[in-house]
Amino acid sequence: MSASITGLLKPWTPRLFLVRWSRYNPYYLEPEPRKEVYHIPETELTPEQKEERELKSVRPIKAATNSVTSSVFNDPVLSKFVNMMMKDGDKIIAKGIITQTLENMKRKQVEKYHKAPEGKKAEIECNPYAIFHQALENCKPVIGLASIQKGGKFYQVPIPLTDNRRRFLAMKWMITECRDNKHRLTLMYEKLSQELLAAFSKEGNVVKRKHELHKMAESNRAYAHYRWW
Amino acid sequence: MEWHQTPGNHALCMRYHSTPAITTSLSSPIKVPPSSCGQEAVGMELETRPETLSIFRTQENDPACQSEQHLGQYYTVPPSHFHTVFPHGLPPRYQQQVKTFNEGCVMVRQPALELISHLKRADYSKPTMRYLLYGVKGSGKTMSLCHTVHYCSTQGWLVLHIPDAHLWVKNCKELLPSSYHASRFDQPIQASNWLRNFRTTNEHFLSKIKLRQRYVWTKRESTEEGRPLGELVDMGVSRVKSSSDVVGAVLKELRLQAGGTEGGFRLAVAVDGVNGLWGRTTLKKEDKSPVAPEELTLVHNLRKMINNDWCGGAVIATLSQTGSLYAPSSAYLPQELLGEEGFDSMDPFVPVPVSLYSEKEFESCYLYYLDRHWLQHPHSRTEEGKKELIFLSNRNPSVLERLCAFL
Repeated sequence: MSASITGLLKPWTPRLFLVRWSRYNPYYLEPEPRKEVYHIPETELTPEQKEERELKSVRPIKAATNSVTSSVFNDPVLSKFVNMMMKDGDKIIAKGIITQTLENMKRKQVEKYHKAPEGKKAEIECNPYAIFHQALENCKPVIGLASIQKGGKFYQVPIPLTDNRRRFLAMKWMITECRDNKHRLTLMYEKLSQELLAAFSKEGNVVKRKHELHKMAESNRAYAHYRWW
Repeated sequence: MEWHQTPGNHALCMRYHSTPAITTSLSSPIKVPPSSCGQEAVGMELETRPETLSIFRTQENDPACQSEQHLGQYYTVPPSHFHTVFPHGLPPRYQQQVKTFNEGCVMVRQPALELISHLKRADYSKPTMRYLLYGVKGSGKTMSLCHTVHYCSTQGWLVLHIPDAHLWVKNCKELLPSSYHASRFDQPIQASNWLRNFRTTNEHFLSKIKLRQRYVWTKRESTEEGRPLGELVDMGVSRVKSSSDVVGAVLKELRLQAGGTEGGFRLAVAVDGVNGLWGRTTLKKEDKSPVAPEELTLVHNLRKMINNDWCGGAVIATLSQTGSLYAPSSAYLPQELLGEEGFDSMDPFVPVPVSLYSEKEFESCYLYYLDRHWLQHPHSRTEEGKKELIFLSNRNPSVLERLCAFL
């Protein structure tokens, strides 16, 4: 009896917290953050673009999230990486770590560049964004494994992966590798920059993990026909 | 926007307007006819750089010869001088930048030039002039101070550079009661570190200056009159316990001998973050009561140095909110940061305001980063990217540096 009364005396909180959901009416349209779209003069618009503009002048538009900017330095892949690094919604810390990582990578490469002899200078890549994108490309698996049940047993079947899934796996492996398998006292940006530079030159643990996945898929190719899609 | 008006440089203005096209190809820096700074011919100056001069660099590496025509241009501190003149005192991010770019380049700016011209024309038989650099956070006060210290060093002055007075009033692990004066406290680690750096900066003076007084350290140790200053400094570095008193003795000797006619040298006292000497400290005595700055030997002796009761030198100081204790972050004016006591002690002084980058200085900084391959993002090299950098940093030097670090 005391249990039921204490249940009634609890302060009311809603069951569903609208934290990440954007529950807009489907009538609302997406915002357009890029500046180039608005600089096209009236005369050069195609008929579809004219139609779109007219539609936008009558329909309501959703509020833009904090992570989209009209800045020229906006990079969607990097934003995704920042979101994956983020813990407890603390984007400031995650963004800070990524900027420190980029700075660290650039510093190492520029130092190497300035100390290198003339002939070798052209081979050293100093752009941290190029290094980041190339490293991520080198970590993306081409083929993945799915656990499919057939006749009571579960088989690891090689399956094709979508682009989003491949990008997600590469980023996830990179982050877990840096969090778990490195020395305890090194800071995250140092670990990330070392791992990214290694992945850029196709060395390092993340690329090794990708190769191991490929080998498993190759060894299980007999089960490929268990896939029905 | 105007660069200097000498006849050869009308071409400069035109070349500047076509910068967007040129900056995309970094291998060909902008070639201009040599400007008329300095008396050297172009041929003999270029020891390591095969290409000719660029807009943002000047070959005039001697601060004494720099003038208004070099405003906004970068000069290189010769690598041989670098470690002797600046063992401490440079901002940490600038030290990282020097390591990355493999060269130490400083921009010639208005406050530093003003200070150097004051130092050139001052009368050193009168009591010391105090110069105070003030400005918003990140506007370049410490770098202007370091530029002036380089000038003093090249002119053969004895430089007393205290990298940050705030380091002496906070985070002190060991606070010993002073043997010389009962109510004061010694800081052995900070004092011995400073003495070591002082020794690196002023090697050649240490054997020339002789002590005028006998100093007794313990019952068995004393330094006699007429011994060279170097011996005193070495003793302070090795005997860490009495290093604070050694610092006090060194300052007193230099004060007495600076204006002397025989073997007289000029003394430059460069203090960064001078507002730390008159605020509060975060140090506590054993009974948990707070320590006032006067009760620290180092601070007490430094305050005597900043007084203008000696002649034959100059005191150049910088205000700093960044390391300061119990000061609001929007405060940057001398009145706010020094407090009443500090302002009264510093009064009269020559205030030198340090402003944010002007358009020309911003251009110069941007071109320098491009030249050193620091701005790597492809969009940062376009006009739009540049406008965005101006907007985001508001031309604040340190904010711009931090932005360009990850771009």
